[in-house]
Amino acid sequence: MTAHALALMPPAFMPSQYGPRLRTHVATLPWLTSVSVRELFPSFDEPLTEGDPRDLDRVKAATRDALSNVDMSKIRADSSVNILASEHGFGLMGGWPYAEMVKTIREVVVERTGCRDVRLRLAIYRGFREADEVREHFGFDKAFDGLVEGLGPFDRGVEVQTVIGSMYLVQRAFDANRFIHAYYDDPREMYFNRLLYKSFKSFCMSYARFETRSVYHSLFGNRSGSIIPRALFDSCYVQKRYAFSSVLRTSPAGVIGIDATDDLYAIDRRITEGHLASYGRMQRLFGTIEDCVAVWDGGRWGYYLHAGGLIFGVLLQNRHDCFDLDIPVTSGLMQIQPPMGKRTLRGIVINQAWVGAGIPYQTMPLTTPMYLVGEEQAKLWREDSANPLVIDKAIVVDDVEVGVAMALERGKTDKVIVFDGSYGHVTCNGPMAELLRARAHSVDRFVEDELLPKWLAQRGLR
Amino acid sequence: MAIIKDVAELNPGQCTGCRLCDIVCPSGAITMVTRRAVIDSPLCIGCGRCVDRCPEDIMWMSERAKPLEKTVLPEEVDQRLVTALLDKAGINPRVYVCVCTLTRASEIAGAVVKGAANLDEVSEMTGMRSGCGIYCVAPALRLLQAAGADISPAKYHRWYPCTVSLWDVSDAARASYPDAFIDEDRIAFDPTNERVRMEPFAPVSPSKKNAHRRATELASRAREPQ
Repeated sequence: MTAHALALMPPAFMPSQYGPRLRTHVATLPWLTSVSVRELFPSFDEPLTEGDPRDLDRVKAATRDALSNVDMSKIRADSSVNILASEHGFGLMGGWPYAEMVKTIREVVVERTGCRDVRLRLAIYRGFREADEVREHFGFDKAFDGLVEGLGPFDRGVEVQTVIGSMYLVQRAFDANRFIHAYYDDPREMYFNRLLYKSFKSFCMSYARFETRSVYHSLFGNRSGSIIPRALFDSCYVQKRYAFSSVLRTSPAGVIGIDATDDLYAIDRRITEGHLASYGRMQRLFGTIEDCVAVWDGGRWGYYLHAGGLIFGVLLQNRHDCFDLDIPVTSGLMQIQPPMGKRTLRGIVINQAWVGAGIPYQTMPLTTPMYLVGEEQAKLWREDSANPLVIDKAIVVDDVEVGVAMALERGKTDKVIVFDGSYGHVTCNGPMAELLRARAHSVDRFVEDELLPKWLAQRGLR
Repeated sequence: MAIIKDVAELNPGQCTGCRLCDIVCPSGAITMVTRRAVIDSPLCIGCGRCVDRCPEDIMWMSERAKPLEKTVLPEEVDQRLVTALLDKAGINPRVYVCVCTLTRASEIAGAVVKGAANLDEVSEMTGMRSGCGIYCVAPALRLLQAAGADISPAKYHRWYPCTVSLWDVSDAARASYPDAFIDEDRIAFDPTNERVRMEPFAPVSPSKKNAHRRATELASRAREPQ
């Protein structure tokens, strides 16, 4: 392995019963390095933070500044208010920036309105104990005087009439006079939501029953599905309770600000423009990778672990320009699997990640060699009903370096990229760093001159 | 086909009868008998949701002596009925409805044709919902509905009858959200179009007039009364 400057450490993450005991980060290995995303794309704004908890004062100040112009007149001193937070926010840069925004919203609402009944509702994905872990790790009980409850897709629902028919939200999310949509703009599986009204997605996911989530994923396309969260948001039931939105804004460089107003459509337009310009560049850069081995090394589901602000899942779809809305399908999620073309991903080494999210691990072991580091982790995968094939096909290794060496040899590649939750930089080995640096400039011009104008026009933004 | 390796077990003496495990069980394997949970092991599809949900920590998963294979084979049911059901629901037979078990829509429809009367029975017959338990639900409910099954809300919010699809969006709704690609996706996902079935990734640029005509036709079919 070539010697380079040592890699930067990724954000510390939350321990969880849904993952193995925390182990040493891969970034400590001497043959890994970091490539700054602002070195690759100088047009990216300098971030407020890449997740370092010492930067939280800046997040707090930005939140206060953004909220200063928000109309809070719908909230009275005797109101009850739910601040709705969603779980993926706690997977961004260790979760502390999002947690800080959420806590600051409460502080400002109490100060401005005199309302004391401000509750936190933590929307989680599937594990019934995730919310308890989050509330404890981020100190929410103290910040909210104990007014904290989790909610998930299996909780009691409430029927909501929308313009496209009856849908079901989770009752507990809306059991107050008012709610605040406290969101983050991580594009995540951008080939699936296609950056069409992404800011509304929680209304058919985090705040919704599993049937509604299933309709969104399975009975609409990944363009037309954008009607569902908007129909829910615009419904009388939701509008009657809606106070305002506050969104943690990001780019691949890190947190770039807070956007808050009661006009969620305006926030969405700003986010979409920003994302196409920033995440669009990173995505197309990843699209130039012909072959590599990926390492999962973070405290969330492997599919959602970040490298340079992009989740691992993007690597699976990088042959398609997911932002090009002329292409009807870019995701194989609930549609027929798209042709992958030349196989980019030559192997996956799992140093640490949560189990329990099946997509797309069920097919992955059939197409991609997988290496699990350590028996403790292998036991978690063995017991994971969402991924019954992984343990049958994966090779269990004692050490991450052994797994990487095996994956490189079998995959006939020399490039390694690490998904360790990093924003601001990509943790990778020398050959991958050289590739990213060599190709960034041409990607930058191609996106600026050809793709971005088309993407914006397709969304009516230019 | 779903391979079910594990089965849920509990210590019944410590059960408080809260019913939370019963509510989240996807296959009807848990019933309450004299305010205590009882697991019908052959019906358990090993999702582990009850274990995670149990507030008393008195449930666990054990490895089955022999894995259960849950599947409805094509030869078990009349495939003409399966095709007709899928067509009526507007669902492509080849899509993976359950991505955790790689169960295709054709198998889910097969379970309904074979006699599954509700979501629990579809899950028990196919192993669908043994993974995440979330994203496969609406297509299964829609197929049950298309077959004339009663999908009204189950007791204790086990499921709600949510089956809205691309084919159900009214003209008024389409007009309210003109940038939602409804017409375009109706062409892209037309389950009766053989080319779309086999090559859903090519850009489709039908004339607006033809797209709307075809979309309206498909939507009308999906809304036909039972």
